[in-house]
Amino acid sequence: MSFVEKLQNIDRRWIYILAWIFVLYPLINPLGLPVPIQKESTAWNKAINDIPDGSVVVFSCMFSIASIPELYPMTIATFSHLMTKNCKIIVATFWNDGALVFDQTLLKQIDPATYGKVYGKDWIDLGYAPGAETAMRAFADDMVNTFPSDYLYSKPTSSYEIMQNIKTAADVDIIVSFESGTPGVGEWLRQWNTPYGTKLIVGCSGVSAPGMAPYLQSGQLNANLPGLTSTAEYELLIKRPALATAGVDAVSMSHLLVVLLVILGNVGYFATRGRKS
Amino acid sequence: MSNVLRRIEIPIALTVIFTLLQTIPYYFRWESDLKLVDPIEQASSIVSQWVLLIVAWSIFIGVISLLQVHGKTVQKRSKGWHYSIIVLVSCIVMAIAGLPFAEVGLGIKNPVYTFLFNYAQSPLSATVFATIAFFITSAAYRSFRAKNIEATIVLVAGLLMVMSNAPLFTATLPVVKTIGQWIYDVPNMATNRAVTIGGALGLVALAIRTLLGRERGYLRGGGD
Repeated sequence: MSFVEKLQNIDRRWIYILAWIFVLYPLINPLGLPVPIQKESTAWNKAINDIPDGSVVVFSCMFSIASIPELYPMTIATFSHLMTKNCKIIVATFWNDGALVFDQTLLKQIDPATYGKVYGKDWIDLGYAPGAETAMRAFADDMVNTFPSDYLYSKPTSSYEIMQNIKTAADVDIIVSFESGTPGVGEWLRQWNTPYGTKLIVGCSGVSAPGMAPYLQSGQLNANLPGLTSTAEYELLIKRPALATAGVDAVSMSHLLVVLLVILGNVGYFATRGRKS
Repeated sequence: MSNVLRRIEIPIALTVIFTLLQTIPYYFRWESDLKLVDPIEQASSIVSQWVLLIVAWSIFIGVISLLQVHGKTVQKRSKGWHYSIIVLVSCIVMAIAGLPFAEVGLGIKNPVYTFLFNYAQSPLSATVFATIAFFITSAAYRSFRAKNIEATIVLVAGLLMVMSNAPLFTATLPVVKTIGQWIYDVPNMATNRAVTIGGALGLVALAIRTLLGRERGYLRGGGD
């Protein structure tokens, strides 16, 4: 087998090793490649900045543990950004892992108390409600009965100061949701945005981004932050470089590897096709 | 009496009632003149709360089913029974440690529970997800070949999208982002919209058939 023939049939184990090197090397030795700011991250930053004082925000981790590598950095960056805002935050999820993701990982990175936020007054963690879209509908109609007790201290939700004036979706100004599937954007739009007019912004994994395009174009979705690259841009915009900024070189290098391999495969294909004919 | 209760019309009637209970307030709740809708909306809200309870209880059924399936696998020493032991032990330990009895040290703050979550479930899930990167790289290399016009279009569009998502390319070749954004905003959006609208129309048709009692796939496997 000649060299060009080998090009279109590289053993997958070599590809795996190359992928491993292209991802791991920039993580160990950051390359400091430039990160141009694009419109998605700019729109996301603006959406958070434009939240008026005194607003009520529903913050939702609608993803499982498997999606942590991609969605966790944007969740942390946005939550820390929201902490600097004068708004009330209600944390709730309709994915069974979502409550654990928030409690076990995010709260270890960001302590709202350091931002002067008081639990039960400025923010509350309601945890997880089963029932997917039906639960989201119930939450919109009656928040306290859908989450009778909070997640962190198991006290009656109605006993917290923050919930005294927040009863239904009509009292919420914006939903900030991070998601990797269903329930997600479609359910928020159907049960919150359409009937109550609640604004919605969604952070999602890169693979989910194409599905967001119609909702963005129609204006139902106010902003979308897709994948790690946009998160790195957002971290730079809020001057809080963290996990995504550290990982974006690996994204660039892994994409470079894909492009190189595809080109090599096609070079081999065309070279051998000429010979065969 | 038991024959009456087993009649197929009863679940169909229940389906119709509960579907309309959810549908009517959704479309008419903001028409304040329609006072008739208010009690329906209240009933709808109550039914939504019922569903939460039903779903919560169904989780127990899932756990029981899991224990039965893997219990039998271990009992019969079927193929891979060792893995079933891991499933059973993990399920039982996690379930007990996470029980909401904080006064006896159980619940979400239980050290066993948090340890298993942080050092077993999280890294294992992330690892499985991360392995996709290797398969995608290999699959892209093997499948993106310009064998004909259609394959070439997919190849070029795919490569441009890959490049438009990598800062390395967008920083050195900004036009890549412009083209990628156009693919995202125009052909992608049009296709996604068509799929969404087509799916929605299909769901409407399915809902109407269900309401009319013509769609019985959800009842006893569709039989009479």
